[in-house]
Amino acid sequence: MKINDFIQQVKNNQVDIVEHTHKVIEECKKINKEYNYFNFISEELALRQANEIKKSVKNNDKNIKNKKLLGVAISVKDSICVKGVESTAGSRILKGYKPLFNATVIEKVIEEGGIVIGKTAQDEFGFGAFSVNTKLNIPKNPFDKERSCGGSSGGAAGLSQKLSNHIALGESTGGSIVEPSSFCGVFGLCPTYGLVSRYGLMDFGNSLDKIGPIGKNIHDAALLMGTIAGYDKSDSTSLDSNHADYKSFLKEPVKGMKVGIIKEAFGKGIQNEVDKAVRKGIEKLEDNGVKTEEISLELPIKYGIATYYMIATSEASTNLAKYCGMRYGKSDKLEGNFNEYFTKVRSENFTEEAKRRIILGTFARMAGYRDAFYLKAAKVRTIMINEYKKAFKKFDALISPTAPMLPPKFSEIEKLTPLQHYLADVMTVSPNVAGLPHLNVPVGFENNLPVGMLLTGDHLQEGKLLQLGSVFEGK
Amino acid sequence: MKNFTSDVIVGLEIHIELNTKTKLFCGCPTKGSEEPNTRTCVTCLGMPGSKPVLNKKAVEFVLKLCLALGCEISPELIFSRKSYFYPDMAKNYQISQYEIPLGKKGKLKLKEGKEVGITRVHMEEDPASLVHPAGMKDSAYVLVDYNRSGNPLAEIVTEPDLESPEEARDFMKQLITVLDYLEIFDVNNGIIKADANISIKEGRYTRVEIKNITGFREIERALMYEVSRQKGEVKRHKTIHHETRSWDSESGVTFSLRKKETEEDYGYIIDSDLTVVDITDKWLNEIKKNMPELAQDKVKKFVHDYKIKKEDAEIIAADKELAKMFESVAKQVDANLAAKWMRRELVRVLNYNKKELNEVKINENHMIDLLELIENKKITDAVGQQIIEKLIESPFDVKKYVKKEKLEAVSDISELEKYCKEAISENPKAVEDYKKGEKKALNYIVGKVMARTRGKATPKEVNEIITNLLKRAEL
Repeated sequence: MKINDFIQQVKNNQVDIVEHTHKVIEECKKINKEYNYFNFISEELALRQANEIKKSVKNNDKNIKNKKLLGVAISVKDSICVKGVESTAGSRILKGYKPLFNATVIEKVIEEGGIVIGKTAQDEFGFGAFSVNTKLNIPKNPFDKERSCGGSSGGAAGLSQKLSNHIALGESTGGSIVEPSSFCGVFGLCPTYGLVSRYGLMDFGNSLDKIGPIGKNIHDAALLMGTIAGYDKSDSTSLDSNHADYKSFLKEPVKGMKVGIIKEAFGKGIQNEVDKAVRKGIEKLEDNGVKTEEISLELPIKYGIATYYMIATSEASTNLAKYCGMRYGKSDKLEGNFNEYFTKVRSENFTEEAKRRIILGTFARMAGYRDAFYLKAAKVRTIMINEYKKAFKKFDALISPTAPMLPPKFSEIEKLTPLQHYLADVMTVSPNVAGLPHLNVPVGFENNLPVGMLLTGDHLQEGKLLQLGSVFEGK
Repeated sequence: MKNFTSDVIVGLEIHIELNTKTKLFCGCPTKGSEEPNTRTCVTCLGMPGSKPVLNKKAVEFVLKLCLALGCEISPELIFSRKSYFYPDMAKNYQISQYEIPLGKKGKLKLKEGKEVGITRVHMEEDPASLVHPAGMKDSAYVLVDYNRSGNPLAEIVTEPDLESPEEARDFMKQLITVLDYLEIFDVNNGIIKADANISIKEGRYTRVEIKNITGFREIERALMYEVSRQKGEVKRHKTIHHETRSWDSESGVTFSLRKKETEEDYGYIIDSDLTVVDITDKWLNEIKKNMPELAQDKVKKFVHDYKIKKEDAEIIAADKELAKMFESVAKQVDANLAAKWMRRELVRVLNYNKKELNEVKINENHMIDLLELIENKKITDAVGQQIIEKLIESPFDVKKYVKKEKLEAVSDISELEKYCKEAISENPKAVEDYKKGEKKALNYIVGKVMARTRGKATPKEVNEIITNLLKRAEL
């Protein structure tokens, strides 16, 4: 059943939403046993919401008609705050932390009748591409449990593949929406920086973080996108722009649109299977009347990783400073002075990867180095944006593979060096650094594993990406 | 380093608590309940997911200050994160400004006209306050009160232009006057703190930083102590260390906090949770239009329009409330008389009672009534003084009071003569002494008359009458 039809049935009182939600929660528990998609299933909140909806429907509450997500199960990446529900951002240092407030996106979802079913597994604070950098749950690929879901929104993408009538809220700093979507064969839309409020998102890199939807169908992603976009006075970086009716783009014909195929994103460093599947995807666009042309975009591929990791870790290392065993989350026996105490709490609870990024980021912003690293990266970022902007004068979207490889096995991931691990982001970091919207579209299967194609658009052109992506709906 | 020649070199870093209604990055009130941790929210507690939103009023306050100090104003307001771990920091970084302060290259005039350079003026948030239950050195633990966390501060850094503890005190005094006129600081309850860099010639200008000096009286004490300490060290052939010391007001000494081998590294990065704020000409002009007259403008005006002495004008203008009262009073009575009475008598009585003008109920109408009586010789100066002393305690109608208490000056010569004759006949010993050439004996008789008339006659008049009477008696 399509989500729209389901919402209609809820509105018409054809579905007992409480009974349905019970079933959803049971299914989540079952899936979770096998796949570890949740850090926390918010059964109590979900049923409370379902009961309220049931009451409103019964009472013929006239507001019900306009609710965009009525009864739809919404999973939430663990780094997004849900009031009273344990929210850890995948970090043991936040174990037991129940936020005092809802993130703005959660307020909007609840307002539109979406039912919050739980917090999905992720790399700690978003630090990773395979959802393995966590001392909490590691999600497994829905097509092969030996393999990774991708990351860092791994739980969100995996659950989107497995659970129907559900849409996930993911979050991306350097590719964490589209890359796991690629590995799990679902649609993931990372919006323009600032289009969706970050208020209530536990920060990784404040100039990079974006909340976005992941859905099994492109329609689902567009529906949730329309719900969460828009200005928020609580987030100073929130864009004061009219957001579009995203669903309407899905019906627009793609004939005559122009996309640029990024030359440097194919060939060396890309698994053959991925290359093959994405080229098939391009052919499909061409079959639908989309004009394609190769474009050289050297800078983003060559300097994207370096630029991204300098900025992201510099910001992350300051964001993580607040986790010191005071006020919230994990604490320890009060011993020694303040420095000794917080060092102990942080040493015990952060993963190796979090520590690596704190050290890297702290180094990059130290006096004597910040010119060469942090400030240089900021300058390259500006140049990169300009290079993209030039390309978008000619093209509606740019195309590359989403990930350079098929979902790897956990045993393979263990052998990767940190740098090899970072290279999994090679296609996705640059659009993130430039704050550009990007969409993963599943283009097919190779070796029974899904492959994703990445569409990158100009700022605030999410609609065009959805328009192009609709070609791949339901196939 | 500058080529110093003076014996003492002082530069100040001053933190001023601005008296906005709400905090710098959240809506919490800056004043109110003193119960610890009650004026807090997720933002000023640094809870994960919270975001700062800039208080524009605080920006206007600091812009006023920049204008008053003649600073060059940056066209953009940019906030940075200053990272260091300390228990009073909610986020373990402080939102401050780094590369580009809001104002730079200003100056402030000392009393004698010397100009002190202002290096920079910037905005930042106040940390929480730490409570040491058993004193700073002996407490086994500290308590944190976040009520102050996030209060807006202006930081002023001066050039090392001050050449004595007295000048440092004067600088602080002049600054407080400016802040008072601008109404951006609560002179009675607000906190103004200084860190002072001080070096002396004998110590080859080795710089020592003294932290935590509150108020302008303290700065002189702390620096005087430090000068003598450093001189003592040199005398005893000890080296003066480049170090940070703290001022302990209670015991009146400075003590070493840490040696400074290297400058602290705060790893500044841009705070990308906040956007760059444009300081537009339109905004600046609006602020300029509403700038109040400052003390130095008042001095010029008082000298020019009211023709009073410059010294009098300076003393009156140094207190905003006094200046305001003077202007009202000088419109009704002779300005010089008003100046004389307000800067001498009123200030003397206030100082004696350790009160500020705005703490007592004496107002311009009281002063006008009083000075009119004096101007028209209805009462004597002595009675005038008594009335001011009484007015400080509680207000009353001056004219009615004078009538009721029969305090009018004795203008009738025959009546005065009667008192004088009585005094002469009652004090033959004094008369005898006077005749022998003891001039002081005359004062004794005059005093007797003054006492009998309760100050209603002027000593000069009484003196003349008695001298004449005694002269006549001799003939």
